[in-house]
This record gives sequence, structure tokens and C-alpha cells, in this order.
Amino acid sequence: MRVPFEWLKEFIDINESHHEVAHRLTMIGLEVEAVEQVDSDVVFEVNVTPNRPDCLSIIGIARELSALYKTPVVFPEHDVLAETGELDFNVDIADAELCHRYAGRVVRNLKIGHSPEWLRKRLEKCSIRSINNIVDVTNYVLLELGHPLHAFDLKTIKGCRIIVGTPNRVKGQGTRIKFKTLDSIEREIPEESLLIWDAERPIAIAGVMGGMETEVSDSTVDIFIESAYFEPVSVRRTSKAIGLKTESSYRFERGTDIKMLKKALDRAAYLMKEVAGGTICGKIDIYPKRYKPDEISVRYNKVNETLGLKLTKQEITDCLDGLGFEMKKLANSLKIKPPAYRRDIKREIDIIEEVARIYGYDKIPAQLPRATIGIESPEDRKSGSAKVKNDIKQALLKSGFTEVINYSFMGMQDIDLLGIGEYDERRNLVQIKNPLKTEDSFMRTTLIPSFIKNLVQNLSHGNRELRLFEIARVFISQKSEVSSQEAVALSHCRTECSLPVEREHLAAIYYKEKSKALYRDDTPDFYIIKGVIEAILNNLRIYDYSFVRSSEPFLHPGQSADIFIGSRLPVASSQSVKAGYVGALSPAIMDSLDIKAHKPSVIVMEIDIDRIIPYAMQVVKYRPLPRYPYIERDTAIVVDSLLEAAMLMKWLKSYPSDLIEDIYIFDVYQGKNIPEGKKSIAFNVRYRASDRTLKDDEIDSLHKSLVDYILDKTKGQLRT
Amino acid sequence: MIEDLKQTFLEELKSVKNLADLSNIKVKYLGKKGIVTSELKSLPKVPPEERPSYGKKINEIKQFIETELDLQESRLKQEELKKQLLSESLDITLNGKFIPFGKEHPINKVLSEITDIFVKMGFSVEEGPEVELDYYNFEALNIPKDHPARDMQDTFYISDDIVLRTHTSPVQVRVMEKRKPPVRFIAPGKVYRCDADITHTPMFHQVEGLMVDRGITFSNLKGVLVAFLHQMFGADTLVRFRPSFFPFTEPSAEVDIGCILCNGTGCRVCKGSGWLEILGAGMVNPKVFEYVGYDPEEYSGFAFGMGIERIAMLKYSIDDIRLFFENDIRFLRQF
Repeated sequence: MRVPFEWLKEFIDINESHHEVAHRLTMIGLEVEAVEQVDSDVVFEVNVTPNRPDCLSIIGIARELSALYKTPVVFPEHDVLAETGELDFNVDIADAELCHRYAGRVVRNLKIGHSPEWLRKRLEKCSIRSINNIVDVTNYVLLELGHPLHAFDLKTIKGCRIIVGTPNRVKGQGTRIKFKTLDSIEREIPEESLLIWDAERPIAIAGVMGGMETEVSDSTVDIFIESAYFEPVSVRRTSKAIGLKTESSYRFERGTDIKMLKKALDRAAYLMKEVAGGTICGKIDIYPKRYKPDEISVRYNKVNETLGLKLTKQEITDCLDGLGFEMKKLANSLKIKPPAYRRDIKREIDIIEEVARIYGYDKIPAQLPRATIGIESPEDRKSGSAKVKNDIKQALLKSGFTEVINYSFMGMQDIDLLGIGEYDERRNLVQIKNPLKTEDSFMRTTLIPSFIKNLVQNLSHGNRELRLFEIARVFISQKSEVSSQEAVALSHCRTECSLPVEREHLAAIYYKEKSKALYRDDTPDFYIIKGVIEAILNNLRIYDYSFVRSSEPFLHPGQSADIFIGSRLPVASSQSVKAGYVGALSPAIMDSLDIKAHKPSVIVMEIDIDRIIPYAMQVVKYRPLPRYPYIERDTAIVVDSLLEAAMLMKWLKSYPSDLIEDIYIFDVYQGKNIPEGKKSIAFNVRYRASDRTLKDDEIDSLHKSLVDYILDKTKGQLRT
Repeated sequence: MIEDLKQTFLEELKSVKNLADLSNIKVKYLGKKGIVTSELKSLPKVPPEERPSYGKKINEIKQFIETELDLQESRLKQEELKKQLLSESLDITLNGKFIPFGKEHPINKVLSEITDIFVKMGFSVEEGPEVELDYYNFEALNIPKDHPARDMQDTFYISDDIVLRTHTSPVQVRVMEKRKPPVRFIAPGKVYRCDADITHTPMFHQVEGLMVDRGITFSNLKGVLVAFLHQMFGADTLVRFRPSFFPFTEPSAEVDIGCILCNGTGCRVCKGSGWLEILGAGMVNPKVFEYVGYDPEEYSGFAFGMGIERIAMLKYSIDDIRLFFENDIRFLRQF
């Protein structure tokens, strides 16, 4: 809302500078967002919150200042004596629930033309374009008194008759109306929208916009001015339904002053006579639904208890004086009736806010509360998951991964690019009805598409190394069995089951240009990321996991694994759940990306944190340190090249001996001296007894039988 | 003759270049068939009266040679070690091999800072769904359908009843529904609005806070928020509360801090006002208490909410909000 300072000063006597006034307005809740110099005047840009439609006018702002300065508001001249009392005009309100009051006046013999300069200037300062003297006056009064008016060309109103009603009411149920508004757009009008009709047809959309055919034009001589109170929700619904927002609808949907309506009508007639000549005729005023404010009881002690103050009764009533309230003072409370322009005041708390506002928020002391010490009950605590999340995050940061935050959106093209199968739950998409871009129409079901974008963008800037991770939610739609009608019946649309499942995911991407490095490290990238995952799991004390060759369609089939939690068996089993995957992006995906020059090997991983949390062990128990020395033996065997390490380890660990403390693989070799289709695997076994020192010959024979056992299992041979 | 032996030995010792030479000399003089050993062996052939003095002399020489050899040996060993170490020398000015630690995203960095301050004041941390029921996002917060307050936020819709939460305030309702007072928590998280320009992104982050107990006042709201802002921005930060409107709080306040860039003198960032809007807050509206079944006559409380991006932008002098979500590592590495 733009407020020219010199206009404001017409209604209230202000001695303070505009700086001071702007500050005072801001501090009572009318934030002056900007002060603009216009010629010799200044214009305030006031941010009026939706609860204060009464401040959407110069007079409204003046009223607020009046309450603050305790100086009266001077109303502009508006008393008109009708020069002819006769009015052969009929108004019917068919829907009194939607139109509480309807008034109008006829002004005859007007000279339509340009507005005088003072009028044009003021409208301009408020960013309203001058059209002609009649329309300009209606806009002027709108700005001045906050009440929207509409002027019709009288001769276009058929049958000297106005009906206020919905198409349903006026034309019967289900009537579809097409109507051309002032902006010469033909609009379809919902059957429950309130319209203004003449004897034959609709002539305006109540509170939103007038019609093309009854518009005031250069040839207009006589006009009918409408000033009415339309019900806010109805105006808002209509404005939304037809997608048309105007200065009028903006005010009506927030609530106008039903008592100001007559003043506004007279003020407009008065000004029209001033700027366009003419004769003011009598008026019509139909007021079927009177404004009857409820009495609000305000307890003095409640005011102080809420605000943390010790105001006296006098101080409280002083604050409220000047706000236009009708006040009755009782011993312990006040009985208050708010004026018609303050429909936002309905309850005690609304009055308490008014006291605080006028008293001044700045004068309320800042005091820390005396609080009850509370401890979260275990079932309320999600701190377990917060801790796991934080542990994971810290581990990744220390492993050199930088955190990213991507938008939660993705597009169908992303899921298609990844080749996600039809029955995969990642296709249970949550769709946004009004996305900003079609490629952002869905909530993510996997974090990988965002990482592919991060990769492309960062490579284009010449980065040689990329380690990124993100912890964010994915959204899996639940295909609800309940029909939407049932859901409504169940619990007023509040059914939790209609919400998607939100799961916390971790994803990371790794890429490193190998050729330019000071120190060579030829560990395949896959193992670097697999190592990070293992380190994270071990740090969370999760030991029951396994990596199984992955079938994710977007990963390199030879360099990818699914991560299973719950069992160490190197196969998917009933005891384990898939918690994620790790692997190189498939060559097909890499080829489709907009990456110039080379196509690097890129490793991605994604883990469902919610799936691994139950396996994270929180309890730590000490085990005594071994007291006797160990004996180690190394052995290399030659086996089929397709034998996976996990299988070998599984067999080694299945050998029944409690003297085996640890086994690990320290070398895998293919090439010279090893037959085609075979590989050599070397492993180290550490033996130890908990109650004695082992003897070499004892271990020699134990190790020999272990090796025999494993050669039998693997159908391998000892490497010589 | 024995005197000559000492001289010859010393002459030969001078020509020793390495441990091998030294070992040769040792053998030559002290070995089983060495010169000194033979002399000692031939002692019985010496006339008895000369024997004691002759023997003594030989022993003296033997000792002398042994000492000299030991000395020389340790000298040579030292030299060889020196040579070996020199050959093993590295260019210690070359870079070390390390993986630089990753960086936390600036938004989460600021978020943890805020969380830490409130946790120290006894607030717990809560979460709520990002895809939310219209009921929690609007209705139970006293924002009915067809209310102009809905215009304050541009909403992404999933269906008529489901939205992407436009603020973290629905967590207030969810927590109060399942817990009796006193409650005191913050709820950080992602929120969504369909808006995109240099100061708006369709997704951003907020922290919501709520404290409900007996006897909580507006003055307490000021106390807690001033304490927080002083921790966050420095103890001499100016703080101002001014009336505002949120449907779920009343009285409502907008909280400003003195512009941290120009110290209140007026600059581009604070649009010349000297103040920066940083928080929205207010006393919990009794209507909201009615929705969750708290008795507004017995309990009162305050709620607040703040945008993390805005705070991060001020803190790091970032002028384009979109940078946070482009994830360019040249940007991310700076924090």
C-alpha cells in the first residue's frame, strides 16, 4: 500500500518528520518497507498484513496514527444533499449471505473527461493510472477510504433494476454464465459466484470487476455508483476461480468496512460533481444483514499474564483508547465491542495484542523464562537416528567428501535415464501438481539423478577430483488401498496413510583424474568407495553385511555391488535386507551425459540410512586383551579366476577350529606363471589360544589340514 | 723390531678406505695367523729373562692395535651411515599426500550452529514430514481454506489435501498432538514454495521453535530470542521486536537485528533501514492450542521460525541464494 505523506497529513495533524512517522508506523505493525521521494512529497510503501484490511487506505493509516498520538482523525468532506430525491430504481439482494449491504447513487449530466491535475497526481503517487474523471474518482475514494466502488453507465442498465445474486439463485441451479469483463476478456463464471444483474443479464462480478457492456465511456452522461459489502470468502473464491485479482477483490476478500460504505458513496458523488459537474440524485441503501459485533471480555490480569507486564487498569485502557472500541470498564475486566472496520478483533487475545502494539513491543522487557527441566522420554527420542546420521556425516567429511544439498525434485526423464524397472518402488512417484518446471515434477525416490547433474556441472569447470555426498530424504508414494471418498469419511482428510513414506538416504559420488597425480595409487576406484562404506559400517558397529553383485540397471555390471545388511553371507538371504548399492556408472549413462573430452570412470553409492539404523549397535562391551602370543602362517593357492573372495573367506571361516583368530587376503594375482583362467590368492591366518602358548608343530599340522580343507572346497592347488 | 710393528700398522691404517680394508688389517695383525698372534705364540722361544718385558710389550701393542681398529671402525661406520642417509634424502618441500577433509554445506553449518545454541538452552530437536497434510500445514495452524493468509505462501500441491510443507510450523502441531506440556523443542528442515529468483529458491530451510509451559509470557519470548541472537551474532547486536501477523501466533512479532554489514547506518542489504528481518515469532494462538487439545487457560507458549539461507547469506556475504543449491565445489570448498 502506497501512502503519500501529504495526503495522510490531510486527515491527521502530525508535527513529526516523515522519518519519525515511518518509524512509528513500523513499530505498531505497519511496516514501512520503503520511503520514496516524489517531487516535494514522500510516499511510504507500507506492508499491510492480511489481518488488517482496514489499513488499506489513507484514512486507515491515519486512524492508526490517531490511536498512537491520541489526536483525532479529520474525515474528508462527503455530506451531499441530493439535488433530486427521486430515484426510479429497484435493487434486490437475492443472496443476503453473500451481500450484507448494497447501496447506490445516481449522478446525472456528467461531463466525462480528463481528471484535474491534483487528482491525477495523487493516483500516480499510488501507482494507479488515470483513466477518466469518473473512474479516477472511484479509485481515489478506494485509496482514501478503503472502500471499493463501481460506476456503471446508467443508460446501459436495463429495466432500472439491479439484482444481486448467484447464477444458481437468479437463473436456477447449474446455470453456466459467460461474461465479458472490463478488460474485454470473456470469462466462464462458476454458478455459485455472486454477480450483479440488471433486468436481463449480468453486469458485474460482485467485488471483482465490472462488465464491458456497462462500462463508463466518453459518451456516458448518467451513472450509477455501487457501494456494497460483499462477503469475503465468496469474493475470494470467485477471484481464485476465474483467476482475476483486482484492487477491489483484494480489499473485499480481506473484509471491508460495512459502515464506511455509505460515506464512500457520498464522497464519490461529491467528488464527481466537483470534477465532472452533474446532479446528484437520491440513493438506495439496502442493509439486510446488520453488523452486530460480539462483546469481548478482556481480563486485566490476562493481559499482564500474557505479556509479562504489570500494567495498571488505567494504562491498559489508555492503550485501547483511540482504537474506536466501545469500552465498558468492569472491576476485573473490560467489555469491548470493536468497530465495523476491525473484524479481525474477535477474542480476548486480539485485544491483548492491541494493548501490546500500542504500548510498544520495545517497552516489554526481555526476560528468560523459568523453565521446567524436562527429559525426553525414550520413545520420543529419535536421537539414535540423529546420532547415526551425524556419525555418517562426520566420517564422510573426514574421508574427504564435501556435502551438497540438492533440490528434492526430479523428473520422469531422470528415472527413465537410470532405466529403473516398472515394478521398482522408485517408480512410486510423488507428483507435484504445479511444478515450476516439468523436469522438476516429482519428489526424488533416489538421490542419484541430482549427483549426475552435480557431476556434469563440476566437470565442466575443470575439476580433477570430485568427492560429494548428500544426506536427504526420498519420497515413496504409498499406493493407497483406501478410496479417497473413504479416506474423507475416515478422518476429515487427515489420513496419515495418504502421505508418502519419507526415508533418509545417503548418496555419494567419486571421481578422480588419475593421470596427473604426484603420488601414484592404482587402487581401483570401486574399492576406494567400497572401503569408505565398510569404514562407515564398522564405525557404526555394523558387522553383519555383505556385498553381492548388483543388478542395478544404471551401474557397470562388472563393477557394482548391492549392499545387504543383516547377514555376512555373500548372497541375498532371508535374514538380510538390501540397504543400498555401490558401483561405477554404466558406460551407457556416461555416454548420454554432456561431458566433453573424456568419459571418466565415476563411482556412485546410495544407502538407505533408515534401513541400517536398527543394526547399529549402541552398546560397547570390553573384551580382555589376549595374554598369549600368536603364530601366523601364509599360504597361496591357485583357484578358478571366477571364484570370489567372499566365497573363499566364507569357506575359510567355516573350518572348525577355535584357534583361528583372524584370516585376511593379502594378495590376488593373475598373469605370469599362473595358468589361463586361474588366479592365485594368498591369505594369512593368525592362530592364538586364549589359555596357553601354541607350539609350532601343533600349528603346522592344523594349518596343513586347513589348507587341505580349502583346496578341497575350492578345487584349487597349492601355489608353488 | 716390535717398535717397527706399531709404525707399520699405523701406516697401513692410514690407507684404510672402508670396513672391508679395516677387516683385512684386523686379520693381518690380530687374526689366528696374524702378526701379533704369531709373536705371542713365539713367546716361549724368547729367552726366559726377556720374556716378561717382551710379553708386556706385545700385549701393549695388541691393545693399541685393538683400540685403534675399534676407533677406526666406528668412524667408518658413522661415515657409511651418513652416506646412506644422504642417499635416502627426500625433497621435504614437496606436498604431503593427504585427502583434504570435506566441507559441510554452509546451510548445515549454520543450522548446527543454531541447533547447538538452542540445545544448550534445553530445547530438543524434532522432525516432521516434508510432504505434509494440508491439515497440519495450514488448517491446524489457523489458516483455513479461502483465507487470504494462504496468499502469504505459494504452495506446491500434491493433491487437494497434501502439500509440500511451506514452513516448519506443522511440526509444532504434530509434537503437541503427541506430547503433553511442558514442551520445548526446535524443528529444523526443508520447506518448499513455488517461487524462484535471486532471493527465492523453490526449496529452502527453516528452523521452527516452540516452548509451552505454565506462565510463559511475551517477555519470555523476547528473553529467549534475544539470548539466541546475541549468541549467534554477537553480544552487542541490536535486536528489535515489532508487531506483525501470523495466523498461528498472537501477539505476533517480526524480529529485526541491527544490520551486521553497515552497523545500522544503512546499506544496500538492509535497504537503507539499518535493520535486517531475521525471525518471525509470537505467542501461540489459543486456536492452535484448541486444535491440539491444550487448555489455553492453563498453558501458554511461544513459537518462532527463521530462514537459514537468509542467515547464511548475511553471515558469509552471499548475494545469490541459488548458489546454495548449485553445488559447485569451488563454492562449497570455501566454507
